[in-house]
Amino acid sequence: MKINYISFRQSITRLVVPAMAVMMLWSCSKTVDEPTAGINTPSSLDEKAGTWKPYVLASSGAIAVAEPKEATSADYKAELQKLKAATEAVTPQQREQINYWGAGAVYRWNEIARELAARYNSPPASNADGKYPVPDASKPLDDPKFPFANPPYTARALAYLSVAQYDALVAAWNYKFKYNRKAPSKNDTSIKTLLPVSDLPSYPSEDAVVAEASCVVLKAMFPGEVPFLEAKLAEHKQSRISAGMNVESDITAGSELGKAVGAKIMARAKTDKMSGANNQAQTASMIANARKIGVTEPWVSQEFPPRPPMLPTYGFVTPWNFDSATVVALRPEAPPIIGSPAYQKDLNELLDIAKNQTREQARIASFWSDGVGSYTPPGHWHRKGAELCHENKYSEVRTARTLALLGTTMQDAGICCWDVKYWYYYPRPNQMSSKIKTSVGLPNFPSYTSGHSTFSGAAAEVLAHIFPDKKKEVDDMASEASVSRIYGMIHYRFDCEVGLSSGHKIGGYAVQRAKTDGAE
Amino acid sequence: MISSLHQKGLRLLGILLTIAGPISSAYAQMPNDAIYMGKKTACLAVSYTHSAWDQYWENTLKRENLNIGTHTTQSVMPMLAVGITKDFNAIVAVPYVWTKTSAGNLKWQKGMQDASLWLKYRFLNKSGFSLHAIGGASIPTSNYIPDFLPMSIGLQCKTATARLLASYRHQSGIYLTASGSYIFRSKITIDRDSYQADGKLYNTNQVSVPNTYDASARLGYLKKAIQAEGFIEYGACDGGDNIRRNDMPFPTNNMKATMVGVYAKFQPKNIGVNARASHVISGQNMGQSTAFSVGVLYQFRYAKEAKN
Repeated sequence: MKINYISFRQSITRLVVPAMAVMMLWSCSKTVDEPTAGINTPSSLDEKAGTWKPYVLASSGAIAVAEPKEATSADYKAELQKLKAATEAVTPQQREQINYWGAGAVYRWNEIARELAARYNSPPASNADGKYPVPDASKPLDDPKFPFANPPYTARALAYLSVAQYDALVAAWNYKFKYNRKAPSKNDTSIKTLLPVSDLPSYPSEDAVVAEASCVVLKAMFPGEVPFLEAKLAEHKQSRISAGMNVESDITAGSELGKAVGAKIMARAKTDKMSGANNQAQTASMIANARKIGVTEPWVSQEFPPRPPMLPTYGFVTPWNFDSATVVALRPEAPPIIGSPAYQKDLNELLDIAKNQTREQARIASFWSDGVGSYTPPGHWHRKGAELCHENKYSEVRTARTLALLGTTMQDAGICCWDVKYWYYYPRPNQMSSKIKTSVGLPNFPSYTSGHSTFSGAAAEVLAHIFPDKKKEVDDMASEASVSRIYGMIHYRFDCEVGLSSGHKIGGYAVQRAKTDGAE
Repeated sequence: MISSLHQKGLRLLGILLTIAGPISSAYAQMPNDAIYMGKKTACLAVSYTHSAWDQYWENTLKRENLNIGTHTTQSVMPMLAVGITKDFNAIVAVPYVWTKTSAGNLKWQKGMQDASLWLKYRFLNKSGFSLHAIGGASIPTSNYIPDFLPMSIGLQCKTATARLLASYRHQSGIYLTASGSYIFRSKITIDRDSYQADGKLYNTNQVSVPNTYDASARLGYLKKAIQAEGFIEYGACDGGDNIRRNDMPFPTNNMKATMVGVYAKFQPKNIGVNARASHVISGQNMGQSTAFSVGVLYQFRYAKEAKN
């Protein structure tokens, strides 16, 4: 049939043009939907948390907090008046900040720390001499930035953050129930709060405690972010005043306590041997040891120019839930001898994936890649842990405890895994066959055992204990994280299976602590 | 680090923007020229493109990367241009793309990329001067990985392009053509549920990819069987962020490029051949690519004259 020119042009106008207009409009939407965390309304006050066992503090009363002024005192009444005025003058921007921090103090500071980890997770570039400059803590914003927040670094930063929050909150809970100052809106019912109020005593402010303790740790871990962190700190504290939740003296007492606890925690950090974790001078003897115990072809960097391996002496850093002798005792059996049938079998699996990687394998590898520019596997699991606490309406102190158990076990996992990696100094599959290329990026350290698997096994062990109804989910996640490194073609199956199993064992030590810390 | 830097470059450059990055405008008639197929005639073209770079711009820093060596993108693209009327043509194309590097450990990628449809309409034609409205749309045809840059073969965006093109052709056969376009790009979904962009950490698998725009000018000669031209093209994103220091590229990057090139076609009868070469002379967040393509064209009538 002949196409009529006129009618054809009309049909363009009628159909094609509107269709394209719709398509353009739809293309215009650039908004991405991020999950939003609602305001947390804890299901329990956890009144006894002042008796829970701290990590670093000798006891929950180790740092003194002065008794607050009486509710009937003129000073306190003046504070209430000031608070009332502040709530009546709240701006829309402050209301947004109130809701943001209302999701939870520990929840938000953990999220901030994960974001910093991702932003600082960049390996230094090589210079003109083919050398890799080492980041300098005294010049954090120079190139290369300090820190290079790789998985062991981030595991430690998040462990210290969560421990500081937990110890500070245990101390705060002790004083809250010792002094029993009611929430401002319960002392003066004319104060209209912008967040839900519970029977939790308000002195010292749990938000101020968490904010200050977090800030002390994060300033030390990310020294280039001091202005950013101080702005967050001020915003967080102000949000509690604007919301009518805490008077000034609640905040001040919480701030002092948080700072003091943060300092105690960072005193441990100064002596945990992290400063010696990048001792490249030791690699020669490590390689000699690996040869002696039968690794015929030790790992070499696959980068150009060759990059020194990541933190070769991180295995000597002080763990949290056991001692350094246990790190050695937990070291798994040797990997298969290179060239043996067991080795060849797992290498062949990788050669097959190299040829026939499925889209689903690529998806799993990418989902768990947690590589350069990400919050790393410890960050991935902290996110999961924080979300579970939020879903379960945990109190601040119980959230902090969960993340401290999780954070410490993941640093323990990192320490144990790094010990194993540099004990066996086993080559990556990509070193053994150039046919094996990665779809996720090749880490620059020995292969056996898989860090992802060890971190994930430990994390799943702890989360399954705390959230028994989620045991299957977190175990499946850990297994997927583990196998993702095979699909991404950077680990042999034996790296992953042994790493996952080690991780579960390491997690068992944190579970043991959880059973006896007074919270269960 | 580098990724489809090149590929994107070409894309930005307005060459079949939405289609394969490295696909060039090697055809009898293209979405960026003033040439039309006659009514009831069509042209089937198949082209091969080879594009490579060994230096790229990490943000504005020009560098090499010994863990990439030379990055190469190749593609084969069948394209069909159909003359619906003498002033209204439709073009469809879909490329098969594969990438590789000469060094490093990144897995090479390959696959069918994005199918595109273009509609070209000449709404003014007077004394050698013509104006054209061109609309394009593209849609991914396979589930390739969009954020494994620079190895990914594309970005998984759906796109819609609005282009205005003006041309003047002298009786001698010399012509001058200029065009400008705006390309809308959809959000994409990646396999990860966390990524960094704009100095911020996003906790979602959705990525907002910036729109792009481009401009081009071409000066050439077209008479009978011969066409030859030189061109310059500029393309950039409407927003977007930069590659972080020593990090990989990401679909949110603001890729910019200025490219120069030459194009020639010889089509004595129904069958013809064409060739194209281009080189990026400046850029940001992409590779400094040099590309070559060759194609064969076959022109035919797809319907007889109307009987009634």
